[in-house]
This record gives sequence, C-alpha cells and structure tokens, in this order.
Amino acid sequence: MLRPLFASRSGTISAVVLVVVAVLAAVGPWLAPHDPLLQDPRAILAGPSAGHWLGTDNVGRDVLSRLLAGSTLSLVAALEAVAVGLVLGVVPALLSVRLGRVFEWFSLRLMEAFVTLPFLVFAVAMTALLGNGLQQAMLAVGILISPGFYRVTRAAALPVATAQYVEAAVLAGASPWTVLHRHVWPKVVPAVAVATASLLGASLVIVSSLTFLGIGITPPTPTWGGMLATDLQYLFQRPFGPFVPAALIVATVWACNGIADALRDAPGRPAPRKVTAHVG
Amino acid sequence: MARPRTLLRVAALVAAAAVTLAACGTGAGSASGATLRWGFALPTSWDPVTSSTGNDINTISLVYASLTQLDEKATAVPGLAESWTYNGDGTAVTFTLRPNLTFTDGTPLDADAVKQSLLRGKTQQNSLLKDQLATIKDITVAGDRDVTLQLAAPDYQVPNLLAGKTGAIVSPAAFTKDAAAIPTAPVGAGPFRFESFVPESKAVLVKNPGYWDAADVKIDRLELTPTTDAATVVAAVQSGALDVSYIPGNQIPQAKAAGLEVDVIDSLQVNQVDVHSGLAPLTDRRVVDALKYAVDRRQIVDVVNAGVGDVAYQPFPKGYVAYDPTLDGLFAYDPAKARQLLTDAGYAPGQLALTITVNSVSQSTAELVQQQLQGVGVNATIKVVPPGSSTWQQEVYLGRKAQFALDGTVGRESPVQNLTVVYGEQGLMNTSKVSTPEFLAALDAVRRTPLDSPDYPTVLQTAVRTGVQMSPSFSLGTLPRVAVRNKKVSPLPHFLSQYRWEGVTVGSTS
Repeated sequence: MLRPLFASRSGTISAVVLVVVAVLAAVGPWLAPHDPLLQDPRAILAGPSAGHWLGTDNVGRDVLSRLLAGSTLSLVAALEAVAVGLVLGVVPALLSVRLGRVFEWFSLRLMEAFVTLPFLVFAVAMTALLGNGLQQAMLAVGILISPGFYRVTRAAALPVATAQYVEAAVLAGASPWTVLHRHVWPKVVPAVAVATASLLGASLVIVSSLTFLGIGITPPTPTWGGMLATDLQYLFQRPFGPFVPAALIVATVWACNGIADALRDAPGRPAPRKVTAHVG
Repeated sequence: MARPRTLLRVAALVAAAAVTLAACGTGAGSASGATLRWGFALPTSWDPVTSSTGNDINTISLVYASLTQLDEKATAVPGLAESWTYNGDGTAVTFTLRPNLTFTDGTPLDADAVKQSLLRGKTQQNSLLKDQLATIKDITVAGDRDVTLQLAAPDYQVPNLLAGKTGAIVSPAAFTKDAAAIPTAPVGAGPFRFESFVPESKAVLVKNPGYWDAADVKIDRLELTPTTDAATVVAAVQSGALDVSYIPGNQIPQAKAAGLEVDVIDSLQVNQVDVHSGLAPLTDRRVVDALKYAVDRRQIVDVVNAGVGDVAYQPFPKGYVAYDPTLDGLFAYDPAKARQLLTDAGYAPGQLALTITVNSVSQSTAELVQQQLQGVGVNATIKVVPPGSSTWQQEVYLGRKAQFALDGTVGRESPVQNLTVVYGEQGLMNTSKVSTPEFLAALDAVRRTPLDSPDYPTVLQTAVRTGVQMSPSFSLGTLPRVAVRNKKVSPLPHFLSQYRWEGVTVGSTS
C-alpha cells in the first residue's frame, strides 16, 4: 500500500517529513520543555537560550513549547476538515453515479454552489453563526473542500459504473453494495487518496489562515497560524520569530503535496488528477 | 535633427512652467506647498452628527472648526467664538463669534448658521449628538455674531462640551441642500477644505485660507490614509509613503533605529475594565474588589505597551484638571488581599470562573490578565469579540453580556461627559447601569461650578473620587499617543485631547 510513496525521492522525503510532523503532533505536548501557556513577563521577546531554545514570545512564553503544542491542534484541525470534506464529497459522488439524474443534478448544483463560496468569508460567517470554535471553523472548511472530493470521486466512478463488466455483474444479480465494494471502490480509492493528501495540505493552509486571523481559536491556545500572527507584530525584536511556524506550515504542506504527487505517479496506477482547493 | 530637439526644449519649458504654476496654485496661503501624508484612521462619518466614535475628532476637526477648542491641557479656549459669557445663574451662555467667518463653500458662518447647525444635532433623526445637546433648551441669536444657548439647568461645562464634535459647525447651505452628502463630502470652516474622499482608502484635504487661525496652519495639502497593519507603519514612514503615523509603544525602538522621530504625546485615553456587577458572581462586591486587587497594572503597561504610559486608578491622566492624586494606589496590585477577599466571599482557589471579553487587538492584555487572575485562584477564559464596528456594541455596551470587558475611554471634551460615559446611570461603559445618588449629586455640583472658579478642581475631583469608589469597573493605565514621523516633519504639538496640526511644518522631500 505504501510502496508507491517510496518509489520516488520526493515521495520518500515527503513521507519522512510528514511522519516527523505527525510524531511531533502526537507526542509534542509531552516533549515540550515548558508549559506552553506559562508566561514570564520578565523575559518577553527573548532570543534563543539554553532555557528557551527558540526564545520567548510577547508575554514571555516558551516558543518551542508553544510550537509543539500548536502542532497537535493545527494538524488535528486540518484532519477534521479533510474528514468532513471526504464524507460530504465522496458519498454524494458515489450516489450521484448510482441514484439517477435527479440526485445527480442536485448534487452537482450543490457542489457548484460550494465552489463559489469564498473560504474565509464563509468560515467567518459559520463561526459567527455557530460560535468561535475550531470545530465550527473546520466544518466550514470541510464543506468547502468537499467539491474537490466530489469531482475526483465522480470522475473515477463514472467510467466504472458504465463499464461492461459492471453491467454484467448487475445482470448476474450482484447487489449495489457488491458492485460498489468489488468494482467501483477499488478504482476510486487511488484517486481519493491523491485528493486526500492534496486537500490535507490545502486545509492546513486554510487552518493556518483562519487561526492567523484569530478565527476558530480561543487565546492563549497555541496554533501555528496564531503564532505567526503574533510574531509578525514583533519583527523588530524577534526577526526570526515568524520563520519557525512558517517553515513548519510550508514543510507540512509541501510534504502533503509531495505525497499526492507520489501517489498520482505510482507505477501501474491510472493517473488521477491532483486536486487543489481554491483558497479565497 | 534640429527640429525634434527644439520641440523637446519647448516641451520641457512648458512642463516646467506648468509645474511652477501648479506649485503656486497649491501653495495658497503658504509659500512652501507642503504636503503631509498622515496614516491614521478614516472617520466613521465626516458628519459630526453621525460620527460614531470619539476617535473621529482627530480627523473631523481637520475640516470643521468648533465654537471652542481645547488647549494643550484640555481647557476650553476660544475657537470660532472669540469669547463667551454666562448669565448670573449659569442657565444661559452667549458665544460671540469672530468677525467675518466663512465656510469653505463661501457662505457666511454667522450666529444663525451656528444656531441651525446645533439645532440639526439636536433634531436630526439619526443624530448621535442628541444626548450631548440635551442640556440646550433653546438657541437665540442677536445680530451676526452673538448666539445664546438657553440651558435646561445650570451647566458651566458647555464651553468644554462644544470644543469637539458636538460644537463642530457644519455649513447650513450644505446640509439644507443635501444632508445625506455630508458624511462623505463635509463642508465646514476648519483648517482644511475637503477635496476628495475614497471610502476605506484616502481623503485629500487642502488648506483653508479662510480658517480663523489659517496663519498657524503651515500644511497646504493633507492626505489621510488608514493604516491597517501596525507592523508596516514604520516601514511606510521610512519609505516616504507616509510622513506621520502612529505606532504601539513597543515599536518605538524600531522607529528610532530606522532614523525616524517619535513623539510620545500624553492623551486622555485610559484603558479600563468594564465590570458588570449585575452578572453573577460579580454581584458580590468582595469578588469585584478582589479582581481589582488581582490585576497587576504595571505589568500590563510594561509588557503590552513597552512601559509607555502610566498605571491608572481613575479615568483621567495626570496633569488633567480632573485628576485626583488621592486615588493613586487605590486597589493597587495585592494578590494576597485578593485571595483573602475571595475566601471571605466563599470561593476556594479554582472555584471562581470568569469570562474576559476582549477585542481582537487587545489579546495580549487579556492573556496577561488571565494569568494574573489565575494567580489568585480565578479560572478565566478569554472571549474575543470579532472585529467590526457593531460587534463590541452588541456584546458589551448594548447587549451587556460581558462580565469583565477590557475596554478604554478615549476621553471627552468635558470631564463631566467622560464621567457620565464611564460611571453614569446610562453611561455606555457603565455596563452595570448603576449609579449612586452621591455620584449623581457630585456630578451635578461640577456642572454648577464655573470653570474659572477656584473651587472647580476640588469639586470635579470629588466627583471623580466618588465615581471611582462607587463603580465596579476600574482603570488600568493611560495610553499616550505615539506618533512616528519623518524627519522633514516638525515635532507635533502635545495636546491631551487630540492630534492638532497648527504650527506643524513639512520640509522638502529632497
């Protein structure tokens, strides 16, 4: 299953980066040398030292500890958005192939409507409506990336559904579930995998953008985007400050895209399209 | 070959002549042709009647002159009116206008124009000045220059009251013709004439040679643009995109390192916590007092504003007539006392939960306060109110949902006005909406005391003291204006109440 990832150098590096980030997200809070919320107002905006490897922030909190704690939240939020998008995109796509023209027409129009919505404005509206929480914001993001999953899944499923061997299976009495499970799903999975990797990167960018703007989080909860926003206000005092959260965001997004490319280019697989989300 | 070269010379001469003529044109009233690019905030409305924030006085006063104005110490001095006199019992005040005043549309600014402008503030349906002007019962004019305000009760604060937006005089010809146009195309008699305005983008103003104090205005053209990101302000001034702007205190070292000049100007702005004593657990005064002792004001000033400003225990800065020195140190940081008060109120450490409401630009303060409260055993969560002109109003002022809101007053022209906003029964920032009879009586005593009475400071400070001791809300620190400027701009004058540009010069850009 994972072999295609290691067929190329970029795929291998991407996988390693993503594993490292995932490990940081999983065990980061235990690795943190300090309480990420503990302030030391006597040592604000301090440079790197033995006690604080990446220095301290504007209220004297340890930056390394906040980055590690923020990794968990940032990644989990991106995964939440992808999970929502996966369910809202893949299921209607498969049903649109099976349930006939009316469902197909409505689902297509709905997805087209989602595509027209600007990400940030919609996320802000959702958090205003449902409360300023990460779950609410990720629900909004998940809804808006669902057209990506819908299109890829439908494009992969449509030729299979009308293939002669599938029609033969139906004529032979195979149930819809059997057709889906044995014939359609195996053809769809590679495309969905590529889309998942690609949209995970896009979701991370959106999560970082929202938390940069203070949407979806309650201070003093650390996130990569939130730390970036704070650090940008103190460029003169800590010019290197924004570099680390920005580098983590870039590296993780790059790794997600690298994995999407590796899966797409895997030998012996059909070439599903890589999916990008419109961030606007 | 000679012909094109000749044409080129002619063209160059024409261009040079055009530039010279243009410079002469813009230099009306001044020899320098000086342009100043100011990065600040555009007003919520260019109409003083519908402007919705106190901060707008900084920009609205560019195009409007008021009957009076405030000097450096925020004392009322002549503006459009060269003098004023009260009747014997303080129920009527007559302002005498300067001679030969005109609006920038050329119409005369006489006593009748003042009457019409003030009446519009009292009566226009969407006027936000109605409350301030409620003290005026009637307006009469005598000749071209004398306008008398009949007051509902003795009130010697009127000259202060009319020094800002409330007393900004709008051309009756303009608002009679189209009142709806005033918010975007103001017509006044201020230091500058309005030239153009692009909402959210830019306003261009040119010197008004008819302004009563035009000789002190050395700027010929003022371009006002909003600054949206504090992090870019220093770079904008350094690059010349802006000549003057404002920065938070923690950017002073950066501005100085960039070779820019910095003016730290004391202001009437004081940050405070609006405590709603009608919401549990703040209904218990011991809990409220514990919170006052739990907050380390010095730490907030030092960390959030890099030490710029003073800790404050009252809603006025040192040096202002209302400042009561006996309040210094009242509820000073004392975590042990805070813990004791909470214990007395029946709260063991960790039992008391509280929500800190804050706007999106004051999160650092909220985070510090959260940890300070945690230090005395209060578990506080932070609620950030999203940006937007109405969201804070809905959450804090009108909705009154906030237990403990980090807020601030920009000050008002009249100290009574400010005390009313902060502690008055219907005061916007008094989210509890409770005032004691003692405070209201003290406030009334201030209104009845002439500004030039030797008793005035004592009476005013008594009202401040009564308000501070009564209110569950408490002040945190003063917030001076920190202006950053290009070296070609001369130092800004230090006015407590607002930015003023009289006497400011702009040198050559070359």
